[in-house]
Amino acid sequence: MHCLFCGADQPEMLTFRSLLRAADSPGFCRSCRDRLALIGSQNSCQLCGRDLLLLDSGTVHGHICNDCMQWKKSGRNGLYERNHAVYQYNAFIKDVLNQFKFRGDSVLACGFANEMKRSFRRIRKEQRLKWQSGFIRSSGDYIVVPIPLSMKRLAERGFNQAEVLAETLGMPIINALIRVRHEPKQSKKNRRERLIVRDTPFRLENEYASLILGKNVLLIDDIYTTGATMRLAAYALSKGNPLKVDSLTLIHA
Amino acid sequence: MLLLSRSKGLPPNDYANVQHILHGREFRAEELPLSEKVIKDCVKKGYVAVRSGIVPLNESVLDLLTDRKKWLCARCGNRDQETFATCTCGRCRKNCIYCRHCLTMGIVRSCTKLVTWCGPEPALHHRFIHQNGPLCVWDGTLSDEQSAAAKALNQALECGKSFLVWAVTGSGKTEMIYPAIERQLKNGRRVVLATPRTDVVRELLPRMRAAFPDVPISGLYAGSEESNADAPLVVSTAHQLIRYSNCFDCIFIDEVDAFPYHFDRMLEFAIRKAARPGAPIAYLSATPPADLKNDYLSGKLCGVMLARRYHGHPLPEPQFRWIGNWLKLIRKGQLPSLLCEWLRAKMGQKRQMFVFVSSVTLSRDLTELLQRAGFSGTAGVHAEDPHRHAKVSDFRKGKINILVTTTILERGVTVPGVEVCVVGADDPVFDDRALVQISGRVGRSAEFPSGDIIFFHNGKTMAMVRARKQIEQMNQNGGFR
Ligand SMILES: [Zn+2]
Ligand SMILES: [Zn+2]
Ligand SMILES: [Zn+2]
Ligand SMILES: [Zn+2]
Repeated sequence: MHCLFCGADQPEMLTFRSLLRAADSPGFCRSCRDRLALIGSQNSCQLCGRDLLLLDSGTVHGHICNDCMQWKKSGRNGLYERNHAVYQYNAFIKDVLNQFKFRGDSVLACGFANEMKRSFRRIRKEQRLKWQSGFIRSSGDYIVVPIPLSMKRLAERGFNQAEVLAETLGMPIINALIRVRHEPKQSKKNRRERLIVRDTPFRLENEYASLILGKNVLLIDDIYTTGATMRLAAYALSKGNPLKVDSLTLIHA
Repeated sequence: MLLLSRSKGLPPNDYANVQHILHGREFRAEELPLSEKVIKDCVKKGYVAVRSGIVPLNESVLDLLTDRKKWLCARCGNRDQETFATCTCGRCRKNCIYCRHCLTMGIVRSCTKLVTWCGPEPALHHRFIHQNGPLCVWDGTLSDEQSAAAKALNQALECGKSFLVWAVTGSGKTEMIYPAIERQLKNGRRVVLATPRTDVVRELLPRMRAAFPDVPISGLYAGSEESNADAPLVVSTAHQLIRYSNCFDCIFIDEVDAFPYHFDRMLEFAIRKAARPGAPIAYLSATPPADLKNDYLSGKLCGVMLARRYHGHPLPEPQFRWIGNWLKLIRKGQLPSLLCEWLRAKMGQKRQMFVFVSSVTLSRDLTELLQRAGFSGTAGVHAEDPHRHAKVSDFRKGKINILVTTTILERGVTVPGVEVCVVGADDPVFDDRALVQISGRVGRSAEFPSGDIIFFHNGKTMAMVRARKQIEQMNQNGGFR
């Protein structure tokens, strides 16, 4: 078995765990895995999922980062509650993401499958605990909705990286959103512009509206940057009256 | 899309444009500046051929019986089933197979169409045929040995026969092929000089441009901007040839043994695809791979052996120096004292040095140690170093004294007067070919025909012994003993 990313032979010892793993499930080698920066759920921002250990402790307010405080104050969260992220952005994952997203090497998602699944299990468990202690109304499971690409971008790129990542969770995927247009590159916009959620490029697909009614939605994307995309998507979903919207991304930028 | 999206039929001029873009090339449909309609029109007229990027491959009856689907990438020739994957395709909305092997050149999926020209041939490059004066303005002279080799090469290629130039490092191979290139160009042929590495292309390109100032030359390597697609002379990494098809009448492969794993099958496929049927290949190498060597020795392949450098001096022979467990020392932050002594002595003589190491980490660590020990002007390079080209060029200009490098600089980079050591020559990374090539960095210029090549080690390896033996053998063949 070769490492999905670097191609190195994986001379992994036969252990009980590796025997349990499906023989043909491809993945990353030890050295590639070591270069990925996993975010510990204990140390992550409770709203955006970023690794708080990397921040100045002065900018953190009880497990919530400054950016998220801004979002809270802005009053634009709507039904959107929080993001979970698996890895913190670094030079290595940038290379992997480049090959995955821009060169179209979609099989790399398999290398992320285990950690994506693990995060998903944790999210569901937290949800269940909250329900059991009476914090929330519904125990209902999540509806998994990938962030879509516009038709034009999809044709260019050939696949939707968010959809491929969503597939790793092993849940039915509901393509409830369509992207009407691709807004100009994020970097070109200033923060204020990005915060205007009313101007969403997303639209709720009518036939799926009934599926999300009264349910929890989990949006899936490759990267959480400013959080604007998630809020724009959540705003479009709110037309279908879900209970709440959370998100899970592979990376926190 | 571009230029050609007219509603009615095509005037003949537009065929010329399609021909110009597609002749001798093969592209994925989506990377062409042509609309689907234009391509379809051309296919109907029989000018353009379209084929699938991924085709099913059933090699044996057994595969058919077991119903295990196998695939072949039509672009790169990959048939290693482990490097195919499936994706939910956003174009055709089906599950597409794609080739991971040639991904860096743009993805090829089951629904990808490969497009090439199959219509009438464009006019030959007649413009050099009637030229009386020489195309090559290189004003150096070839030694008697070199001239003889150049002549034999030229004759073989003229008769369409492949040829091996087995020449020691620093023998002046590049200059030896000038006459043959000139002959081919004057015959109206398209010529490619393929090499394994970007660095080598970047080194060869200015030399070729200086030698053939009137010939349009296209240089292709990862990140280069393709300026002149139908130039009669192309200098390219083998990788970049993957977009050519049935194009070149004559092929020169420089440093044929330096291809990863001694000629990766994909590169061989790319070169064969880029060549016209029956085009002769000239192989240039200091350390030819076994199959070529055997073909030459058994007379199946024409060729010539050059055991002397162009300046007539022998090859510097490597010296072995034991330095104990170098890896442990360097990890502990200590410099092997013999290495220090040698570097100090050379610094005193105002020489420049390459220090070869086996890994990127080691190159970083050793560079830092040397800088801390007061060796001014020390820098490290490795394959992924973004400043690599700048550092090599600073080294050439004399701004850097010691360049700590991984094997990426083992060939192609020529700096007059440089002396070389390998720290940890016993590392398995250094096989005998690599060590011969590394030794070949020393004494290449007539001004500085000798110099040190030192293998610092913690126990002699077969590779080290074989490398030294090969060099001694070449010197013997060259009449130096
Ligand atoms: Zn790896
Ligand atoms: Zn946050
Ligand atoms: Zn391929
Ligand atoms: Zn497809």
